[in-house]
Amino acid sequence: MTMKLIRLKYTKWFNISKDGLVKNNPIVIAVLGICSSLAVTNRVENAIAMGLGVTFVVMASSATISLMRKLIPPKVRMVTYMVVISAYVIAVQMVLEAYFPTIAKQLGAYVGLIITNCIVMGRAEAFAVKNPAKYSLIDGFASGMGYMFVLVLVSIVREILAFGTLLGMQVVGDQWVNWVVMAMAPGGFFVLGLFIWGIRELTKYYETA
Amino acid sequence: MNANLKMIVFVLVLGIFTSGLLVGMDSLTKDRIEANKSIDIQTTVLMGNGFSNTDFTVANINEFFNQEIDTVTIESNGETYTFYVGKTTGYITYRFIGGGVWGDIIGMITFEADFETIVKITILEQQETPGLGGVVAEAPYLAQFVGKIFDSTNVTYPAPDETLIKYLEINKDNNPTNKANEVDTIAGATRTSKSFEFLLNQNYQVHKALWDAR
Repeated sequence: MTMKLIRLKYTKWFNISKDGLVKNNPIVIAVLGICSSLAVTNRVENAIAMGLGVTFVVMASSATISLMRKLIPPKVRMVTYMVVISAYVIAVQMVLEAYFPTIAKQLGAYVGLIITNCIVMGRAEAFAVKNPAKYSLIDGFASGMGYMFVLVLVSIVREILAFGTLLGMQVVGDQWVNWVVMAMAPGGFFVLGLFIWGIRELTKYYETA
Repeated sequence: MNANLKMIVFVLVLGIFTSGLLVGMDSLTKDRIEANKSIDIQTTVLMGNGFSNTDFTVANINEFFNQEIDTVTIESNGETYTFYVGKTTGYITYRFIGGGVWGDIIGMITFEADFETIVKITILEQQETPGLGGVVAEAPYLAQFVGKIFDSTNVTYPAPDETLIKYLEINKDNNPTNKANEVDTIAGATRTSKSFEFLLNQNYQVHKALWDAR
């Protein structure tokens, strides 16, 4: 059993996953995708939808780019990423509008803005264009989950404080007074800032000047 | 292969792949998106007429809507204008559309039977700056419009359309004693506020004239 665990630590897929989820977490370590993470984390439901949307787009675009990496002319590399990412984002938007119209409305412009989310472009350029599709899929999944994991944690704190609810269900007593600031962007800054600090402390990640 | 030719072939292949993906997704989701938009309009009209969303379900909304609301269509200059009239309230609702700062603002406005006093405004689609102009779609801002009137005796709107009458004003003064046809601007989003004022007045002018002449 112990040997199996030790062996697992040396597998490529385990290390890619660890990188995306913790070691190089897109939000707390790389500080990417902050705009959307501040905007959509006032409700857990929105954070999950956004997290799944980003995860799907990173996985699909990374896999596609990885499959065509030997065909992409270097001159049009970045444009290719944009075209592929945009197509998948529009597809996500269509699915949300068709099957989850309420969430689509709440997320508003932010679904479209996944196109400009640095995590998606970043993984395409840093990983997918140099690695096989199966590892790009794992990398996309890990980065997306790393993004979603922070989003959900932040949104749990914000939704409880801002609305007294969790996934729309009342979780505090009638005497509770909602913290309006938590529903707004400044609340997102406070909570996300505390998370970044806390997780960097836990993982002993310190930036050197 | 020549590098330029290779690039052209690649761009073609990429174009076919992404277009195929989008066309496929569009055909899979188009009907549901249309149905959702129709439900959205029906829900908005019903809520403007005092119903709550517990009075109907997605399954019976069509039947309930036809039972409670009359739909009046008027043709003008090749366009169809639709008015929704509450059978018991007499309230009149129409869909408005106009340019905002980043894209169209689309919504529904419900009037009392006098076609002057606002009962409710709902925004269906908008692309304004989140947190600034985006406030235009938020309930607390739209609540300010309830009870306000489109004043037909008001001044002529100077720009951008000289013939447009400024029935309703959205002004910056944040005055607690606003006039009956006056609403505050959105703080930090003057352009959205002015666009919203323009499109509300423009749509009202067209719809009111058609309604009176029917």
